[in-house]
Amino acid sequence: MEIAGIFVYLYEQLAATGLPQVWVDLIALVVAGVIVFGFLAVVALILVLWERKVSAQIQQRLGPWYTGWHGWRQTIADAVKLLQKEDITPVTADRPVFFWAPVIAFTACFAVYVCIPFGKDLIVSDLNIGILFILAITTFTVISLLMAGWGSNNKYALLGGMRSAAQVVSYEVPMVVAVLAVIVFAGSLSMVDIVESQAMIYQWYIFRLPFGPIAFIIYIIAATAETNRTPFDIPEAEQELVAGFNVEYSGMKFAMFFLAEFVNMFTVSAIGATLFLGGWQGPFLPSWVWFLIKTFGLVFVFMWFRWTYPRLRVDQLMEFSWKFLLPLAFANLILAGWMKYSGWFNW
Amino acid sequence: MTEGLRTEEFQVNMGPHHPSTHGVCRFILTMDGEVIISAEPVIGYLHRALEKICENRTYVQCIPVMDRFEYCTSMSCNQVFALATEKLAGMEVSERAEYLRVIMLELNRIASHLIWYGTTALDLGALTPFLWAFREREDVLDLFEMTCGQRLTYNYIRIGGVARDIPPEFIPKCMEFLDKFDAKVDDYEAILTENPIFVARNKDIGVLTPEMAVAYGVSGPSLRASGVRHDLRKDDPYSIYDRFKFNIPVRHNGDCLDRYYIRIQEMRESAKIVRQAIEQMPKEGDVTKRISANFKPPKGEVYSRIENSRGEMGVYVQSTGDTKKPLRVKMRGGSYNQLQVMPELVKGHKIADVVAIMASLDIIMPEVDR
Amino acid sequence: MRELVDAIKNLVIGLFTSAKHIPRKRVTLVYPTERWPMPERSRGIVVLLSDKETGELNCTTCLLCQRACPTAAIKIDYEKDEKNKRHLKDFQIDFTVCCFCGLCEESCNFAAIKMAPKYEFSTLNKEDLIWHTDKLQEMGRDVPYELPARKKRAAAKKPAPKPAEKPAAESAKSEPEIKEEKPAAQPEPKSTEDVDSNPPEDKKEDIKPADSAPEKTEAEPKNESPEKPEESN
Repeated sequence: MEIAGIFVYLYEQLAATGLPQVWVDLIALVVAGVIVFGFLAVVALILVLWERKVSAQIQQRLGPWYTGWHGWRQTIADAVKLLQKEDITPVTADRPVFFWAPVIAFTACFAVYVCIPFGKDLIVSDLNIGILFILAITTFTVISLLMAGWGSNNKYALLGGMRSAAQVVSYEVPMVVAVLAVIVFAGSLSMVDIVESQAMIYQWYIFRLPFGPIAFIIYIIAATAETNRTPFDIPEAEQELVAGFNVEYSGMKFAMFFLAEFVNMFTVSAIGATLFLGGWQGPFLPSWVWFLIKTFGLVFVFMWFRWTYPRLRVDQLMEFSWKFLLPLAFANLILAGWMKYSGWFNW
Repeated sequence: MTEGLRTEEFQVNMGPHHPSTHGVCRFILTMDGEVIISAEPVIGYLHRALEKICENRTYVQCIPVMDRFEYCTSMSCNQVFALATEKLAGMEVSERAEYLRVIMLELNRIASHLIWYGTTALDLGALTPFLWAFREREDVLDLFEMTCGQRLTYNYIRIGGVARDIPPEFIPKCMEFLDKFDAKVDDYEAILTENPIFVARNKDIGVLTPEMAVAYGVSGPSLRASGVRHDLRKDDPYSIYDRFKFNIPVRHNGDCLDRYYIRIQEMRESAKIVRQAIEQMPKEGDVTKRISANFKPPKGEVYSRIENSRGEMGVYVQSTGDTKKPLRVKMRGGSYNQLQVMPELVKGHKIADVVAIMASLDIIMPEVDR
Repeated sequence: MRELVDAIKNLVIGLFTSAKHIPRKRVTLVYPTERWPMPERSRGIVVLLSDKETGELNCTTCLLCQRACPTAAIKIDYEKDEKNKRHLKDFQIDFTVCCFCGLCEESCNFAAIKMAPKYEFSTLNKEDLIWHTDKLQEMGRDVPYELPARKKRAAAKKPAPKPAEKPAAESAKSEPEIKEEKPAAQPEPKSTEDVDSNPPEDKKEDIKPADSAPEKTEAEPKNESPEKPEESN
């Protein structure tokens, strides 16, 4: 039940209409973008509800219950509520900066999906620098955080924005170094190549001891910090006194930040599934089903962390990243390099 | 490089409404960057003039007013006033009533510590233990509701005894609750006590030395965490506490983590006391004393105190001997002293620690503001 | 290194502790589809009780509840007739000040006022929370109650001028009643009867606390009645 065939067929139909090639490609890209966008919008909707249901399960309560059967319409209700809220811009705010911050956050989190393989041959564009592109684009969120903090013209928002920017940047580094270990082994930056080098389950990078699990754990921790989730959610926590960067945002702009967080969570899970859990590889079921299963599994792990652990203080967070994760990630990288070079565990 | 940079202190207002769920308490924090230089508490947002109200109510009517003095441990408030009035009037309380009082007091202590546990975890970002603690609290409140009809302000422990006897389904339900309670406390400990994140947030934070604790009049679990072994149930036994075997947990570091350990242990000890009380309680007996509407205790003044979950709770009652209403009722709560010591404890810590310290001291504002 | 292993172990234990709640039964009550069965002693709204046969209020305007209320939520409007006996004009309870303490119910000797286990009475205006006699009586019509022991004894002692089926039922029920009342009611049933029939002023039962040794508490049958086998009228 591979669905790549449908897209190939549609592309051929489009090419057969006789338009010039550049137009054909342009239309194909736009259509692909719209499909990915639509898919991600639905995923964000599902994730918001799923988070509340998972938290309710862990806390032995019901979660959303009245809006639709077992609350499936809750996110739609939330979206409608946010849409009809007044869009307030503070008088003293820096208007262009204030306006563009959520746009950049939103765009960055969608732009990453150009290179993520949803299934066999289901990738918008198989760049040969795939993972590098992804890691670069995810850094855009730092700019949007700083812009949000600065544009609000509020000393607490500025402090919050700078703190979260510091947090994201600090955890980017161990994440990249952990991913490097996998890249060293795969020998290529292209996402499709990485998936194809994990054809059998014992080849998945998570199982390639000893560097695989360590790289995976570092990646998970760094990804939790990237997406501002507990135990690293200082910027969004209400119990912290210095408010986060999005304190002045309301209505649709706030909805953009909110959605961007959930889509980001899906992104890092998708990348984690691709790099460590074998992407879309798996027997019996179609490849895109495997991809979804693995990604949602990782999303569940992130949610599980959120509802179990308390949060770290800011200085403890930074100390953890620079003094513990980064040296560990470097040591792991050296180990992976040596393993590849010497041919051990190289199946 | 930093000589040319000018830094200045700034003030952050931790306003009366804030997400740390301890009531309406305001702090004006003066900070140098992330570090706190001084903290000034501003109180009075929950002042309801309870002491003045009591001056215009008869002794029996004062009991529901005392309920609201500290509504998380309403039974203790009733008890302390009843003790004071009984001392003034020279009344005896029957055996069964004493045992019922102890059962209710200790169950209330468990309920109060469950609130403390839930809100501490919530303040530090672990959102799940709050719900679990309140699930257990529902069971305790069901027990109270079946006995006296209310879930928060009980008006149950009265002058001379208790309001009514327990219904027959109380004891089986209570035993059912106690049987599963220990396993639940194990759950609470598994998720927080050894968690490295929780320990990192609480260890060596807000260290209260024993000298400072005694000087400020801190009492209760916060005092015992600093190494001072003082519990009114053992040192100045009131009611029939000298008949029960229980331990007083004491720790010596005085930081937030020790206060946490002590309260978790106290929950277990309270469960032990309730079990012993249920076993030893006489099967029959009257538990109520009908106080006439003209009840006038003889002239005198008395200060009676009990060990509340937040420290020493005391009430000073002065009666003139020829009126139905007390001349003066002064209430003393443990949270007031612990709030006084907070500015000392937060000096030098970061702003995120203020919340952790306040949660670990277990300050609630109705006791402070009355 | 040892701390690292311990830390990881405890983090994993924490994860499993929270995960083991996932398959457990939810403890949420889906209100308003399901409602919590309120215990019979629940202190909800205050209602006025009426006689089961005649439907009239049991209240004798003795004003004890008004004096017992700590927040002055009860206001009783009455008029005195030529024999100086009080008659009720309006019984008002202000639920914006009532603190649901139950002292009014305990002070009543006539089973006239009770706290029913009802709690759903929110309104949109504050004025609608001040209830008068008619509403209080209507809300109290379906609230079960027991007659106070004094009335039971009075009913048992009367020679039965009631309809035919009643005496058999009454005498059958009152026999065990009288037997059980006797041992407890030794000290002073008479004095409470005399006192209660008149509107009590300050000169009534001055049970000084010093004198109220245990036998006085036994004399209060009302407190013991829950423990006896009851018939509800």
